[in-house]
Amino acid sequence: MQTIFSTPKSIKENSTFTFCPGCDHGVAIKLVAQVIDELNLQEETIAVASSGCSVFLYDSLDVDCIESPHGRACAVATGIKRAHKAQGNNKFVFTYQGDGDFASIGLGESLHSALRGENITAICINNTNYGMTGGQLGPTTAMGQITTTSQSGRNKEYHGFPIKTAEHIALCEGSSFSARVALYDIKNIINAKKQIKKAFEYQQKGLGFSFVEILSSCPTNWKLSPKDSHKKIQEELSKIYPLGIFKDVENE
Amino acid sequence: MKEKALLKGNIAIATAALNCGCNCYFGYPITPQTEIGEFLSVEMQNRNLGFVCAESEIAAINMALGAASTGAKVMTSSSSCAVALMQESLSYAASDELPIVLINVMRAGPGQGYIYSSQGDYNQATIGGGNGDYKTIVLSPSSVQECYDMTQKAFYLAQKYRNPVILLVEGLLGQMAEPVILNENPYPEIDNSSWKLDGAKNRPSRKIHSLEPNQIKLCNHIQDLFKKYKTIEQNETDWEEYCCDDADILITAFGAYARNTKAVCDYFRKKGIKVGLFRPKTLYPFPSKRLATISKNVHFIIDIEMNCGQMEKDVALATLGSVPIWNITKPVGDILSPETLIKKIEDIIEQEEKKYANNI
Repeated sequence: MQTIFSTPKSIKENSTFTFCPGCDHGVAIKLVAQVIDELNLQEETIAVASSGCSVFLYDSLDVDCIESPHGRACAVATGIKRAHKAQGNNKFVFTYQGDGDFASIGLGESLHSALRGENITAICINNTNYGMTGGQLGPTTAMGQITTTSQSGRNKEYHGFPIKTAEHIALCEGSSFSARVALYDIKNIINAKKQIKKAFEYQQKGLGFSFVEILSSCPTNWKLSPKDSHKKIQEELSKIYPLGIFKDVENE
Repeated sequence: MKEKALLKGNIAIATAALNCGCNCYFGYPITPQTEIGEFLSVEMQNRNLGFVCAESEIAAINMALGAASTGAKVMTSSSSCAVALMQESLSYAASDELPIVLINVMRAGPGQGYIYSSQGDYNQATIGGGNGDYKTIVLSPSSVQECYDMTQKAFYLAQKYRNPVILLVEGLLGQMAEPVILNENPYPEIDNSSWKLDGAKNRPSRKIHSLEPNQIKLCNHIQDLFKKYKTIEQNETDWEEYCCDDADILITAFGAYARNTKAVCDYFRKKGIKVGLFRPKTLYPFPSKRLATISKNVHFIIDIEMNCGQMEKDVALATLGSVPIWNITKPVGDILSPETLIKKIEDIIEQEEKKYANNI
């Protein structure tokens, strides 16, 4: 009998996701695992997990992994990549971070890694709030969006404006690839995997910092059903955070 | 014959690091240690080793954290207020059991303070500014030669115990040139194949983390760390004794500022007053047991520090109130000359004699 679908080899056996029902982290991690399998990277990958929900990557992904202090994943990844190079090894290194980790507390480390053209890949799950702590205003919370620390909606007087991360990374001379994708339907999931794969391949080619921002649902903190969460991404968030490729050094 | 060179403390540290196989350095400029990064920027690039002009000290220590996880020999260096920025990741490195060598060439604080030499980071280094229960090994050189030798030792201890090691150096020593014998690295290589992250090839994948949602596992992990610290205390405690055997008065001092106190001991010895110096070379682990033994036979202790008396509490803990402790402290500024120290000690002796006379 032909196998049409199976758990990726790079997902740990008997691994159970501890994310909330309807959360897109599980899909994102599965895509990362599939790409690792397809590029045959499992034995040479070191993943850097961060603080927040994204840290649980290492419970499911079956590769060497280190947890980073909050926001510092790109710095930790830089150290890993450079140290292996110094020891004569070329290892595959990627970070898996939330938007708070990548674009708020860790913006300095993230941008400077991109500016240096650090040959690593960063995956940023953008769910427009601090999920693990119960849904507070983050760097990507949309104008008007209600969170536990913007209870009448984000406004410019108190909170200022959100960051468009993928566009910022695209502006860095050292970045090789920057894309924003979503996971709200099959077509987008397939596209997300394609972009993750491209980002990983660019690291393999030594082209510099590659980046994929994934618009993801957070049904628990958005107080929406999983279905309505995806609808929100499709109808609202992807208008504010347009999907697409903002930098691609091989297609310039 | 072994090579000898005239080196500043900062350059001695960088040279020693290279000579014992340091293959990654990440740093951010701050006086009075910037020469370490400048020197290594050339030397490490020439050797194709890991070197990044990090965007901040926070980034530097986290690059070190990542590099250490690969089994590399990693060093970062900084000074006081910027070492304060690194404390979170020292706590992570201690919990992750990652070997990082951190050089702190101290300037005066608190806050920005200034670039004057000081010993104001004794507490920061020995107690730790990071969160949770953890320890970092702290080595305290008192000469440029010891800067060189103890840097090699720092790498060895970091690898041996998989723990961060701080070399606590005064700005005075970092900036001072002295002849140094460039000793071969006397320490063996430590096998790190059982834990380093180099890709899960022909073995199960590994994860290095401090996060532990299971409270029993977290509790066990911390208790295991403290078992390790106990071993470190048993094996690695180090100190220097100068004229301590028959001392009636014991000076306690550390680092570069302990040096003038030797001349002070000599001065009083010539006058028939038995003064000795006890200098911890490891600030953690602090040589409490030996200090307790020596202090049994002394009349009183004079603790001398270039801060407001930070080591004094460790001296007090070691001696548990069995002898009076005086202190001569100055947080910042020109170093206390032997003449100044002698005068201050004579005053203390006079007061102790009065106290003794009153008790009779």
